[in-house]
Amino acid sequence: MSSLKHKGVGPQAMTANGLRKGPVVYMREQLDWSTDYAEALITEDEEIIAHMDEAAQLASVNNLVVGAYFIDIDADSREPVRYRERFRMNGPSFDPGRPTYAEHAKTHGATRLSES
Amino acid sequence: MYRYDEFDHQFVQSRTTQFRDQVMRRLDGRLTEEQFRPLRLMNGLYLQLHAYMLRVAVPYGTLRSDQLRRLADIGEKYDRGYGHVTTRQNMQFNWPELVNVPSILDDLAEVEMHAIQTSGNCIRNVTSDPWAGAAQDEVEDPRPTCELLRQWSSLHPEFTFLPRKFKIAVTASENDRAAIRAHDIGIKIVRNAAGEVGYHIYVGGGLGRTPIIAKSLNDFVPRDELLNYLEAVMRVYNRYGRRDNKYKARIKILVQETGIEQFRCNVEAEYAAMIPADITVDAEELERIAEYFSPPKFEAVSQNSGEIEAQRKADPEFARWCNANLGEHRMAGYAIVNVSLKPIKGAPGDITSEQMRVVADLADDYSFGEIRFTHEQNVVLPHVKRSEALAVYDGLKAAGLAAANINKITDIICCPGMDYCALATARSIPVSQAIAQRFADPERQTVIGEMKIKISGCINACGHHHVGHIGILGLEKSGVEFYQVTLGGDATETATVGDKTGKGFSQDELIDGIERMVDFYIEAREGQERFLDTYRRMGIAPFKEVLYADH
Repeated sequence: MSSLKHKGVGPQAMTANGLRKGPVVYMREQLDWSTDYAEALITEDEEIIAHMDEAAQLASVNNLVVGAYFIDIDADSREPVRYRERFRMNGPSFDPGRPTYAEHAKTHGATRLSES
Repeated sequence: MYRYDEFDHQFVQSRTTQFRDQVMRRLDGRLTEEQFRPLRLMNGLYLQLHAYMLRVAVPYGTLRSDQLRRLADIGEKYDRGYGHVTTRQNMQFNWPELVNVPSILDDLAEVEMHAIQTSGNCIRNVTSDPWAGAAQDEVEDPRPTCELLRQWSSLHPEFTFLPRKFKIAVTASENDRAAIRAHDIGIKIVRNAAGEVGYHIYVGGGLGRTPIIAKSLNDFVPRDELLNYLEAVMRVYNRYGRRDNKYKARIKILVQETGIEQFRCNVEAEYAAMIPADITVDAEELERIAEYFSPPKFEAVSQNSGEIEAQRKADPEFARWCNANLGEHRMAGYAIVNVSLKPIKGAPGDITSEQMRVVADLADDYSFGEIRFTHEQNVVLPHVKRSEALAVYDGLKAAGLAAANINKITDIICCPGMDYCALATARSIPVSQAIAQRFADPERQTVIGEMKIKISGCINACGHHHVGHIGILGLEKSGVEFYQVTLGGDATETATVGDKTGKGFSQDELIDGIERMVDFYIEAREGQERFLDTYRRMGIAPFKEVLYADH
């Protein structure tokens, strides 16, 4: 398990929840946040990881996100290593009659967090 | 039903206003998350796996039709059009936005509801028999006692920061429908040899990672001594309960480590040192509370209406629903209607806003506007005339709420699991759905008879798996879910923690294994034995053998 202070192994992504509405979000290359995992910045570059760490702390202080932390990413599949994180990425699995989180995001488009 | 007085209204409104201010201060940064977290938890607001989750208190599972309609409105306006009935008889919303929560609390306050003490290390929502006030076998309606406890425990200054959360359940019947011995304190309302009504107090029960059945602490506490006695129990727990280790902080561990005899001595010493006049509730106040729960104006109707028998003959599905879902009412000509929230392909306990409105309308038309949520994640219309059961059934059927499976193998208690919960280690809802689909045939369910399957998605045991006839615990290793099985658990008056069978299964293996055990039970049962009875008679070995037959 990785953490805000990066201790993970291999590629890393940064995740959190949006403060105002609560959705799972991922840090993008621009060091802002998106609900779409496909837009997540995934890197092993320690310098970039340090920037991500700083940006996440700033976003927490600026009340944009809550509970930011790094997650380990599988180098081959490019998906989160931990089972729990794969669930956060995909949303609830259980009800075919109700849109899953990913489907909901697809219908409504990815959301980017803003200060307002 | 209890109605707020001026103080209640003022109190809930002031808490809502206070929380609105706290949310504003969090959003503009005057409060950090660390500062805000305990404040939001005190108002039932969690941050779960995917989103915030708001847990709304439904005291002892009793609510009015206007309250259920308000929950429906909240589900539609602020969530995704549904709510989830929990094992504490509350309702959870899985997708509220923080910015909207103060408005949700305002909406709740308008109908005398709130989310206070649905989280945190305090005395949580007191639960009770969902058949309260309607059951044939009760000594008295347990809800006035629950309401007394609610008023006593709400923001009690001594018990706001207990070592750990604290759960109380009350029943007044021999048949325990409130799982009282799985609670920190279980209260059974009893009558002594002199005919006086009092309380049998059990203490130290609980599930979680260390399941323990509550022990008898005092078999008769007189009515006017209840609050003093409970206060003594709470003080002993507050003083000696462990605060150094979260996993050993529940009262069950204290009772286990102290021993029930010594624990009882400690309580009695504390009780003797108290000044009873402090919180003794006088008879007049008890009567005032009890008046809120006066029985509705039942009509004098005959128990054996030929009409319902003819209707049952004409419609086998209605007959099956009557057999499974109607409970015996204490008034002749009335029935308790149990509404299943366990459709074969649904998520146990989920109810859409539209369905909530249907239930509310049916309650108004046929059940004096009263509704109950059950700890088994179903709904009850407590007072329905038997002659009107078909009309209720038709209304429920049109809304997809007529599953005829109460107490059957598909009536499964199931926590939200990994699909929603931040603590979960595996999914539980898809497992319950797979079991329900495997045993969907209503005839087969009838043949199997009473069966309590309970599923938890982690060792915290919110799905009560330890006390399921078949209990299922979801775990995960290296990204693969697997499920461990316990057998012979029981949440009723013969409460028992189930026996662990051993190594876990994949979901598919699990469903096959359960089916083999059920088939074995049907072959092996004697007379009217339930699965649990056969298990108790034969022991774990033969069930384990068929469970692991393909493993």
